[in-house]
Amino acid sequence: MADVALRRVSKNWGSFVAVRDQSLEIRDGEFMVLLGPSGCGKTTTMRMIAGLEEPSSGDILIGGQRVNDLPPRDRDIAMVFQSYGLYPHMTVAENIGYPLKLRGIKGAERDARVRAAAAKVELEPLLARRPKELSGGQRQRVALARAIIRRPTVFLMDEPLSNLDAKLRVSTRAEIKHLQHELGVTTVYVTHDQIEAMTLAHRVAVMNHGEIRQLATPEVIYDRPADLFVAGFIGSPPMNLVAGTHEEGVFTAPGGLRAVTRVARHAGRAVLGIRPEDVTVAPAGAGDVDAAIYAVELTGDAVLVTVRIGEARLIAKADRTWRAEPGSAVALRFDATRLHLFDADTTKRLNPE
Amino acid sequence: MKTDRATAARRRRLIMRAVESAILLLVLFLILFPILWMALTSFKRPVDLFDLTLVFTPTLDNFRTIFAAPWNIGQTLLNSTIVAGLTVAISIPFSTLAAYAFSRFEMRFKHALFFTILATQFIPAVVVVLPFYLLFRDLGLLDTHFALVIVNLAIVTPFAVWMLKGFLDAVPTESEEAALVDGATRLRVILDIVVPMVWPGVLVTAVFCFILTWNEFLFALILTRDDAVTLPVGITRFRTERGDLWELIAAAGILISIPMFLLASVIQRHFVRGMTGGAVK
Repeated sequence: MADVALRRVSKNWGSFVAVRDQSLEIRDGEFMVLLGPSGCGKTTTMRMIAGLEEPSSGDILIGGQRVNDLPPRDRDIAMVFQSYGLYPHMTVAENIGYPLKLRGIKGAERDARVRAAAAKVELEPLLARRPKELSGGQRQRVALARAIIRRPTVFLMDEPLSNLDAKLRVSTRAEIKHLQHELGVTTVYVTHDQIEAMTLAHRVAVMNHGEIRQLATPEVIYDRPADLFVAGFIGSPPMNLVAGTHEEGVFTAPGGLRAVTRVARHAGRAVLGIRPEDVTVAPAGAGDVDAAIYAVELTGDAVLVTVRIGEARLIAKADRTWRAEPGSAVALRFDATRLHLFDADTTKRLNPE
Repeated sequence: MKTDRATAARRRRLIMRAVESAILLLVLFLILFPILWMALTSFKRPVDLFDLTLVFTPTLDNFRTIFAAPWNIGQTLLNSTIVAGLTVAISIPFSTLAAYAFSRFEMRFKHALFFTILATQFIPAVVVVLPFYLLFRDLGLLDTHFALVIVNLAIVTPFAVWMLKGFLDAVPTESEEAALVDGATRLRVILDIVVPMVWPGVLVTAVFCFILTWNEFLFALILTRDDAVTLPVGITRFRTERGDLWELIAAAGILISIPMFLLASVIQRHFVRGMTGGAVK
């Protein structure tokens, strides 16, 4: 077990900056998720921790030791890859046992540990098969077993679920969470899927353009996004973001939208953020703002109501029994304690005093 | 009306297929006829030699003759096997490592270097055969297997590197990275992971190099005299003062060709079988 630290780490390829002067402390036993859209530098960051990519500048520390110059094999890490990275010419048992074979662990001890690791991910009946005879989910479980077999100090997982179908993703996600909890190994997990980040992480680092935009627990990321990027990236359907002006604690936008924000200091252009579940649809005239229904979508567990206010479109999450015709007039009521205000120029969050 | 058009289309398809078959048969005939003729000649007695008939009494005398004194084709067969075998055995490991480096690592002047390696092959052999001759004469290596192996290495290695890089480029790197993280050194990764995954490619390249060396004529002609003579050069000995001994040339030709046919069938079988299935995705 060990903590992992990045100290002012950068990675460039020519003039392209993949990771820009980032620092990050990952605590011992922590489940850290690096979350962001493709090309945000999250995978590069992980590959630098693994030693598969060399940082252009800055230091990487594992367990307090600087590992910049150590090859991957000397970093005592295990990694699970997006496309599994199995050894196609070896059986499942040989795949799982390969890290032990490289460490000179032979015979009965290796067999026993292979069996134990396989049992943890329910692969025992498949030990004699080859990767191509397995389904995607089984392959990813082989990769997991191979990662846990030698109790590394750090787990690195690079989008391990993205090649699985939706149903399998949910069950494998739970398995990963369970394994990490049981083994207590420091884990860095890269994903572009915000649900995975929310469900798995102790803390999430939301990245964009090679920078960590917010580093916090999933609750804080969701309830107090640090800037417009995080606000728009986290949540499905995404947070409603309405451009307008803010003055003396009141936000106004074209179309009659008006909200008291309890932010006293800011004056000028601003963006108001409201999560769809914090918006209530009320009969016309009975809410904070009147609106016309643009579309009604039933998702099964809820009804998404899109309304038009001025130029802006807002989505509200209504109860799954809620029904209305497009074009009809309604009113929206906002949960005043859950409004988010952002400076339109700096994109940063403005906190109420 | 509609059925008329359908029959017309079907007829056109049939005609097209007939034309295709005819062209294929013609090409096949052009390729196979000389080989067939050589095979027939090798079983003929000298009296039947210039007879165009396909009916004759076959004999194995020609094969007996070429293996006996003074021809001793067995020795040249052995020489060819030694030279081609050693060349492949040395070339393939080194080429694999070089191709791996070209495929996976970033380095200065990588493209220039890679093209230079192939560019060496654009120099015609006749241009360098004389310098080679002088070099080996001064080193006292004329008429040795060693000299031929060195020359053939210079010929096949660039091709091997080029071919192997192509195969390596097609193999996804995730399994290698997994092995690096699992605790393998780069050399272990190559031996344990990369080579098994590109094994068909390695085999194809090895066979290709073997064929190139096996058929190499010019250098063997210039650099050998008695001890290290290879099969293609050995065949020239059948042009004597008594004339060209076609029946013996044909028999030796069959001898040269048999390994090629065998190797070609090996390549074919391995060529279609992919090994990467199930590694990624």
